[in-house]
Amino acid sequence: MRKNTRPRGVLGIVAVAAVIALSASGCTRGGTNQGGGSNAASPGITDSSITLGITTPLSGAIAGQGTCTVAGVTAYFGALNAAGGVKFGDGKTRTVTIKSYDDGYDPQKSLANFQQMVSDNVFAATAGLGTPTNRAFREAAISQKVPQVLVMTGDPLFSDRKQSPWQLGFVPIYQNEGAAFGKLIAGSGQPHKVAILSQNDDYGKGYVQGFKDAIKGASNISVVGEQTYEATDTSVDAQLTQLASSGADVFFDAMSITPLAIASLQKAQQLGWKPSWFLPSNTSSPAAILGPGGAAAYPGIYSVSFAKAPQSPAFAKDPDVVKFLADLKQYAKYPDMPAFPHCMWSYMVGATLEQAFKTMTEPTRDSFMTALRNVKDLQAPLMLSGTSVDTTTDGQPAVSSVLVQKYDGKGYATVQNFG
Amino acid sequence: MRNRLNVQPQSLKPPSTGNRTVRIVVLVLVAVVLLLAPLNLPPFANQTLVRIGVYAVAVLGLNIVMGYTGQVNLGQIFFVGLGAYVTAYGVKQGWNILLVFVLACLIAGIVGLLVALAAARLGGLAIAMVTIALPIVGVPLAKRLEGFTGGSQGISARFTDAPDWSGLYNDQWQYYIILLVTAAGFLLARNLVRGKYGRAFGVVKENEAVAASMGVSPYRTKVLAFTVASIFGGASGFLYLAAVQYTSPETLSFGHSISLLAAMVIGGAGSIAGSLIGGAYYVLVPLLTNAVDPGLTTVSQGAILLIVLFLLPEGLVSLPRVLRRITFRNRDRRGAGDPQRTVPATAAGAAPEKQAIQHQAEHQAIQDETDQQQTIQHQTGRQDQA
Repeated sequence: MRKNTRPRGVLGIVAVAAVIALSASGCTRGGTNQGGGSNAASPGITDSSITLGITTPLSGAIAGQGTCTVAGVTAYFGALNAAGGVKFGDGKTRTVTIKSYDDGYDPQKSLANFQQMVSDNVFAATAGLGTPTNRAFREAAISQKVPQVLVMTGDPLFSDRKQSPWQLGFVPIYQNEGAAFGKLIAGSGQPHKVAILSQNDDYGKGYVQGFKDAIKGASNISVVGEQTYEATDTSVDAQLTQLASSGADVFFDAMSITPLAIASLQKAQQLGWKPSWFLPSNTSSPAAILGPGGAAAYPGIYSVSFAKAPQSPAFAKDPDVVKFLADLKQYAKYPDMPAFPHCMWSYMVGATLEQAFKTMTEPTRDSFMTALRNVKDLQAPLMLSGTSVDTTTDGQPAVSSVLVQKYDGKGYATVQNFG
Repeated sequence: MRNRLNVQPQSLKPPSTGNRTVRIVVLVLVAVVLLLAPLNLPPFANQTLVRIGVYAVAVLGLNIVMGYTGQVNLGQIFFVGLGAYVTAYGVKQGWNILLVFVLACLIAGIVGLLVALAAARLGGLAIAMVTIALPIVGVPLAKRLEGFTGGSQGISARFTDAPDWSGLYNDQWQYYIILLVTAAGFLLARNLVRGKYGRAFGVVKENEAVAASMGVSPYRTKVLAFTVASIFGGASGFLYLAAVQYTSPETLSFGHSISLLAAMVIGGAGSIAGSLIGGAYYVLVPLLTNAVDPGLTTVSQGAILLIVLFLLPEGLVSLPRVLRRITFRNRDRRGAGDPQRTVPATAAGAAPEKQAIQHQAEHQAIQDETDQQQTIQHQTGRQDQA
């Protein structure tokens, strides 16, 4: 009985209080940091510094790659800061601060991190790895007019200017990579039988689509077996056994999972199947995948790249590579040989950002986006000759050109012909 | 304050009117603070509170099935994801948002019911296995049903932008939506676990044979608890989409289910207020570690889990109780204990003063008696109906 009377009284009081509260308060938040005049500096940029944010997986299954995305940019700007900073297009010299946030590849957390960035007064989000994690805050970034640029995803959506006015992808879209390999074997003139294994999502489909478009009309190439697996699978042994029996001499393996890539390299050997392999750029690391997978047993492991591989003897004395490794060690607390290409990529992101900073005429996000969309023919450090940063084409990421590479036992070397 | 109101039904029983006035005042104060907060807080604080609400509801559901009924459920995130997908789909189709909310709860509830009908027949660990399967099946399913889910690229849907007439910012508008649903959810859950079903849950948790002998069907009770948990999961999924406005197969990955479980244990299993603390833990700890060192997220979460399990096995919600116990012990040692003082009923019954224990035991006995009577009444009532 007591219970019945109490809540009603409380409800009344709460209701009255709520009405008073709502009507009395109005908007306490006057001019927030959004908007502002065209000449007022955007948040995150002062006369002496600029702050960039990176939300990326620093824990979980892809923490290795995620850590690299932070390390590269940090190393690049660490070296520049030590030399005094970057001279911006408006004549002021600023140091660049990098703030990193761990999202553990969880979209909900990357959105939270973005909100934290906004409250931390970050000028722009950059270099973050992951399609769902970048998609999770894409609309929030658009509505708050915060740049989300040079992100590490092969999702074409980020390079579509109409749909993503404040975004820009950095790495080649999946189709670019598959097409480069397709072109190479189609041009070999030799008959080849190809087996395809792909991840059953936009990633795998993108690769396969690019590859198939490139071999269309090439009479010397026939696809003799095609299998898919789920990104959550822990083994692809069944698919490999199936494909091995097809007698293919080329294996197009569009796989994004590191342990699976290692396991399949090992499994095919056990089956006595030794084709030439194609592996996507993010699962072709010599140190992390090919070595443990025993890749030397195959006639050839092909991948695509636009970055010099520091592991490769061919680049051991390359000045870019030497400086890159020294910067990583000194400014990014990353003393080891980078196990993932993301370290090199994000170093190039640094160079691309620097280029945009040099040409932006006002300390605003608008001016930054204009400057960023005008980078052309930039040969960023570590880029292979024949590739360049070009942000001027709608629908293409900052880097859309890739070169096919062949594993030489330690690293990769560019090849012109298959075989 | 909240936890004292919610956790210990006993502390609400003493019929002193002065106490009641205090409670009402406190309740009103809390309500006013909750209502006024978003208008004065910076956007990021509101957004954080919004996410706490989202996960508090999910943890609350988990608490009903695990904390109160003792059935291991490792698949709660599946229902959160399901609710989120239903919401995203509904919003894309332009359905009325209330209908979408009802559907998110209903579909999650129906799926939960179907799973529970089969799973609850199995004992203990088998239920855990079945629930593990849910997110494991859910992720590839979400990737394949592209027409509904947008495949692995996910699906985004905006429906929580503040309407013009409100004069609010988006984050404030979201806050009020989530406050409304979360508050309603907590109120419903509190009434559920403190009523006859709550007592049935408790008996089933303690001993199924005893439950059966008292006329409480363990099977039906488990199914009920599981279904209710799924409905809360669906509601949480709706809130997830209200807050994040995007969902992808990653949302329902198995790891998050374990994080939810950890959040529940850290907040306090079998506690309504603990669910709120659990939601706060789930959201705040990653933010804090980001501020300290973003490379330490998992390490710090593991450390916090261990520390809480060792020091406060009943979760953070038991902190005030434990502190009170410690102060009592100290006072007892100094010989200045006040025997007349009512000791709050600690679950462990570890209060050191004999009188206090006696007093408590009497209190408990009386209450148990009434509870049992009520249970029996309710049982016979149900049998009559049947």
